Amino acid sequence: MSLRTTPFHARTGPLSEGQAWRRWAGYVVASSYELSHDREYHAIRNSAALFDVSPLYKYMITGKDAARLLDHVVTRNVGKSKVGQVLYTPWCDNDGKQIDDGTISVLAEQTFRMTSADPTLRWLHLNSSGLDVSIEDVSERTAALSLQGPSSRAILQLAAERDLSALKYFRLTSAKIRGIPVTISRTGYTGDLGYEVWVDAAQAVPLWDAVVEIGTAYGITPAGMLALDVARIEAGLLLIEVDYFSSRHALIEAQKSSPLELGLGWTVATDKERYNGQAALEAERRRGPSWQFTGLTVNWDSLEQLYAEVGLPPRLPSQAWRTSVPIYDPRGDHQVGYATSGGWSPLLKRYMALAHLESSSAAPDTELRMEMTVEHRRKQATAYVTPLPFFNPDRKRA
Amino acid sequence: MKTYDAIIIGGGHNGLVTAAYLARAGKSVLVLERRPRVGGAAVTEEFFPGFKFSMFSYVVSLLRPEIIRDLDLPRHGLHILPLESTVTPMENGNYLAAWADHDETRRELYRHSPRDAEAYDEYGRLMHFMAQAVKPILSMVPPDPTSFAPSDLVALLKLGKHFRDLGAERLHALVKLMTMSSADLLDEWFETDVLKATKSASGIIGTFLGPRSPGTAYVLLHHYMGELDGVFRAWGFAKGGTGAVSEAIASAARSFGAEIRCDAGVAKVIVKGGKATGVVLENGDELRANIVVSSLDPRRTFLQLLDSSDLPSEFVSDIKRFKFRGSSGKVNIALAGLPQFTCMPDGAGGRLHRGAVSISPSLEYVERAYDDAKYGEFSRRPYMDIVFPSMIDPGMAPPGKHVMSIFVQYAPYNLNGGWTDAKREAFGDAVVNTVESFAPGFKAKILHRQVITPLDIERITGLSEGNIFAGELALHQLFFLRPAPGWAKFATPVRNFWQCGSGTHPGGGIMGASGRLAALRILKDGR
Amino acid sequence: MTASFDAIVIGAGANGLVAAHYLAGAGKRVVVVEQRPAADRSADIGWVPPRVIRDLGLSQLRLEQPDPWLTVPLDGGNTLELSRDMGRSVEAIRRISPPDAAKWPEFSRRMHTLAGVLDKLYLAPPPDIETRDPRELARIGGLGLYVRRLGKQAVIDLARILPMAIAELLDDWFESDVLKGALGALGIWHLKQGPRSGGTAFNFLHHHVGSPAGVFRPVRSNVTQALEEMKRVEVRRGNRATVLAKNGRATGVVLEKSGEMILAPLVVSSASPRGTLDPVAIELDPEFARAVRNIKGRGVVARGTLTLDRAPPPSYANFCIAPSLDYLERAYDDAKYGRDSAAPYVEVQRFDGNRLELHVQYVPPGTHEGLTERVAQVLKVRPDQLQLQAAEESLYHGELTLDQILFMRPVPGWSRYRTPIAGLFLCGSGTHPGGGIPGAAGRNAAREIL
Repeated sequence: MSLRTTPFHARTGPLSEGQAWRRWAGYVVASSYELSHDREYHAIRNSAALFDVSPLYKYMITGKDAARLLDHVVTRNVGKSKVGQVLYTPWCDNDGKQIDDGTISVLAEQTFRMTSADPTLRWLHLNSSGLDVSIEDVSERTAALSLQGPSSRAILQLAAERDLSALKYFRLTSAKIRGIPVTISRTGYTGDLGYEVWVDAAQAVPLWDAVVEIGTAYGITPAGMLALDVARIEAGLLLIEVDYFSSRHALIEAQKSSPLELGLGWTVATDKERYNGQAALEAERRRGPSWQFTGLTVNWDSLEQLYAEVGLPPRLPSQAWRTSVPIYDPRGDHQVGYATSGGWSPLLKRYMALAHLESSSAAPDTELRMEMTVEHRRKQATAYVTPLPFFNPDRKRA
Repeated sequence: MKTYDAIIIGGGHNGLVTAAYLARAGKSVLVLERRPRVGGAAVTEEFFPGFKFSMFSYVVSLLRPEIIRDLDLPRHGLHILPLESTVTPMENGNYLAAWADHDETRRELYRHSPRDAEAYDEYGRLMHFMAQAVKPILSMVPPDPTSFAPSDLVALLKLGKHFRDLGAERLHALVKLMTMSSADLLDEWFETDVLKATKSASGIIGTFLGPRSPGTAYVLLHHYMGELDGVFRAWGFAKGGTGAVSEAIASAARSFGAEIRCDAGVAKVIVKGGKATGVVLENGDELRANIVVSSLDPRRTFLQLLDSSDLPSEFVSDIKRFKFRGSSGKVNIALAGLPQFTCMPDGAGGRLHRGAVSISPSLEYVERAYDDAKYGEFSRRPYMDIVFPSMIDPGMAPPGKHVMSIFVQYAPYNLNGGWTDAKREAFGDAVVNTVESFAPGFKAKILHRQVITPLDIERITGLSEGNIFAGELALHQLFFLRPAPGWAKFATPVRNFWQCGSGTHPGGGIMGASGRLAALRILKDGR
Repeated sequence: MTASFDAIVIGAGANGLVAAHYLAGAGKRVVVVEQRPAADRSADIGWVPPRVIRDLGLSQLRLEQPDPWLTVPLDGGNTLELSRDMGRSVEAIRRISPPDAAKWPEFSRRMHTLAGVLDKLYLAPPPDIETRDPRELARIGGLGLYVRRLGKQAVIDLARILPMAIAELLDDWFESDVLKGALGALGIWHLKQGPRSGGTAFNFLHHHVGSPAGVFRPVRSNVTQALEEMKRVEVRRGNRATVLAKNGRATGVVLEKSGEMILAPLVVSSASPRGTLDPVAIELDPEFARAVRNIKGRGVVARGTLTLDRAPPPSYANFCIAPSLDYLERAYDDAKYGRDSAAPYVEVQRFDGNRLELHVQYVPPGTHEGLTERVAQVLKVRPDQLQLQAAEESLYHGELTLDQILFMRPVPGWSRYRTPIAGLFLCGSGTHPGGGIPGAAGRNAAREIL
């Protein structure tokens, strides 16, 4: 009895130099392969990082009412989507509070693949009363790789033996890599040029071998979750159970969030028929959400000053953190929010954080104070509200 | 002759808790226990040389954290070890397991039903909220809705407010939980029969009801209430058996100055002028006290320790009507080796034997076990909750050998033709044969078996009709109705005579809550 | 092919017709659509609230109050006849058990008091315990005071007896098996539970509402006929109606066989909540839809007719085969495992010359092989004299278990006849106060609407 290993484990297992593993949806995945995650992170921005993202939950939704079911559940307009499109969307409960977020790949007219962070089979079934739709949990049967970075396109083009320059951002296509049928979607969790490759679990290892073999010349680097965490914060992408709690797991009302409070207002369609949470979201939209999800940049000088006061050089976190950090108004005595993810961006040379702030304190460039513990004592550093994402290279969409 | 501040009749865990709290408050306390050792139904005995048995109760369930803290029980030897998994063998050789790790359990459920794996989390969350909603009631003295006393009215309003504050969704869930059958409730959430059977089995423990009987759903909460105590680990196996729990409480009581006398059964309470003034022992000795507290069940407390002329006739009828139907038996076994279960031959590397094994392969199985009892027979294929204490606490058996504790339902107290020795053996055979059917070769490993029927429970511990909760935990005998309407606040119609056993609120399990609430009430009363 | 009205009522049973008449009385143009081609009068068992009779001027209503109200066969060919006259009942019971006879008046009185409490609850929507509305809180307070004024005994009885099993209650009072069996049967009517199950005492009291003390069978009436004869509303028969809704609002119904649509902004359904809401499940929030699906309405009753060669004597108005509580419990045991009772509970409920109407329990969904033979055996008649029909769904739509009454009925939190779909209301026995009280739900629903 132990945790499951992913379909790629035969390859990823031996790569681990420091046995740094962690849990993800009941699977074991690498925190980092090398003893430090530094190089793995830099590969994302400099060459190509290869992630095993198989633990995502995946569902195939097919049938006459497939789009109807999805439209009933999620906030985006699925009915208006085109085949070959990938939609990022949250979904909500009846009160407009977010349950989870994921992607919907439009594979064919009546065929969709939905991913989610938490198991969603039951929720889909509950919503499908009276609909002509079939829902299948393909989580274990489908393996997935994420290849992110400036060299990712070149590597995949060689692997798939075709030109992928026409594959636009958040679009997908089917292809073959060394004869293995795959779906390639131009998606990812790094806010950079990158692709995710979806394959039948039985073919996972050969796929890995093919991609790694071809990619070696381009500096392909297997990377773990620590590296991914830094990149996703740079990209301003939120993480469930860290930046927000599923309304299903919330123990009290205050732990729930709506998409509008999470900066996902753009995913909430205004031209749809009835979907879960619609009335509440429309009302919230009219009122204006009470919280915003924004970026924060810590002012270097103020940080340096705090450490200088105790005679130390500034200590920066070596890894991205996922704890809750209070954020105060400029006077430092009234809490206006809290940061939930943060860390040092090696690329941008900035100490960045993702935060929930009361709307009145969330305007860009607002000066705030972020709590820091310096030599066992609670201090505050100055931080500025920064619109997300922190990093948005042209190559992401080019 | 010395007059004690308080004499406590019965050295069961509730009596001991009351004694400890009273002694801690400076009172001179004497506990009188009929048997050679304290503990009542929470005792560890070595009835077969080298093998120690938690004779009757076998797990600690929900021992109140307040009591553990207030009496500093860990210092007095309390050490609760985790009992973390449950494996249910199925009749087709498959099994269902619930492990300590959430991901593992999820995967296991997924194996049976993907949708149930997800429903399990939702269900757990709901139960968590329900347990949170119900918990305050466990530690409250029940208000009397028939009285016009301001304190009762205020308490009732507070209770009403508590329920309203739950919000509509949770209030409705609570109503369902209090009124439905565990099978019906579980049918709303799950489709896997063996899962429903195992969960609903916890709903029937100590009751004379089946999984399809209304009123069994709320016992499903029990387990989740234990979770709320989280870090206190109030649910598990006591090192040294449940007797160690009683001994720890007794040690705490003694450390506060309480006196405990064993082999000192009480025959009667001395009542003069409507007031309790002391007790008469079975050997004729008289002892004096300012107050007398009984931890015995309501039938013994009121119909045996007192004369009916001491009590109002209405009260006597209510007590006579209080239901005790014992339905549980126990089979304790000394083993030469661990049984191998067909469904999991390698025992999951020892994990199966370190947890509980539940013989509840289907709802129909458990319901049929109940049907047998309804008409006065013991279950031919009984429900069982099996643990191997020696796997958790090696000191319970000689090295390499093991003890096996089997809690069995149903064994009705009122068996057709009565519990003769032959019937007892037949019951033991039914149990052993059933286990054998799931673990061939088991019988050959038995070194010794002890079969305990409800009649035995009654004879040895005094619990009327062998009901392990000192009175059924049915809705119409709970809260302000326990043990009788108007007498749910631990006082009795006889002045200076109090009750503190499980026959009062909140009743049942090894919680100690009754003992503590009674003590606090007595101290508040100021005598 | 569409017609347009102010309101459509689905179902022409007592509740549907009562609701329709109230709506019509308020000036609405109402049409009633009924699935059956001819009226089903056999369901007219139960106390019709006097207020309904008064409000609608039901002059044609005839109540049948047979005396004796129950005839129970005894060993040796005699019968026990329970009468509306308390003294006569006591005498009859004394012949089989003097202690039981002595307890009969007190038992009757206490049960009648409790039924009176339920009576107060039934002609209005159930108390809304979560409300902050001062009027509603005052009403609840008033109810509380009413109960308190009944005395300490009544308060205790209420708290103790409502959750009890009818078998336990009866065992506390009486010793005679036949008496307990005959009374206990009322506790299991239309329930998939046996007399030893908790909550059956409530079911017993529910069916006692409206009867005088000491009479433990509901009256019979011709309420449906009386309503039909009033001819104030249009009734269309022979077609099953399915609700139409769009964007959270009811728009009308569509008739199954003809395909015809009838439009109306108000649709009131006396059909079962599940049957009404299933077709529009897509309009509902998933948790609500799930709650509707979870309504327990397991049909366990077969009804039908027994045709005798000769009309029976007048005292055979209600003839009950339930010789003991164990008999009923064993009958239930069979149903638990999906089988018809090997020895069913049978009651004769009405007669019209030599035709008697039957109530048989337990007959859970399934094949009913041999059922007629078994009932014939119990009644000591020939199978060809019997005609039985079992219903998959309970006549009461939702069983009257403790978790499906008052503010939990039909779905927790939705007990005021509304549904999440604007303009769609429920008014059948699946709503408060439940089955067996013809017209009460219809009236309550209509008043909520108006």
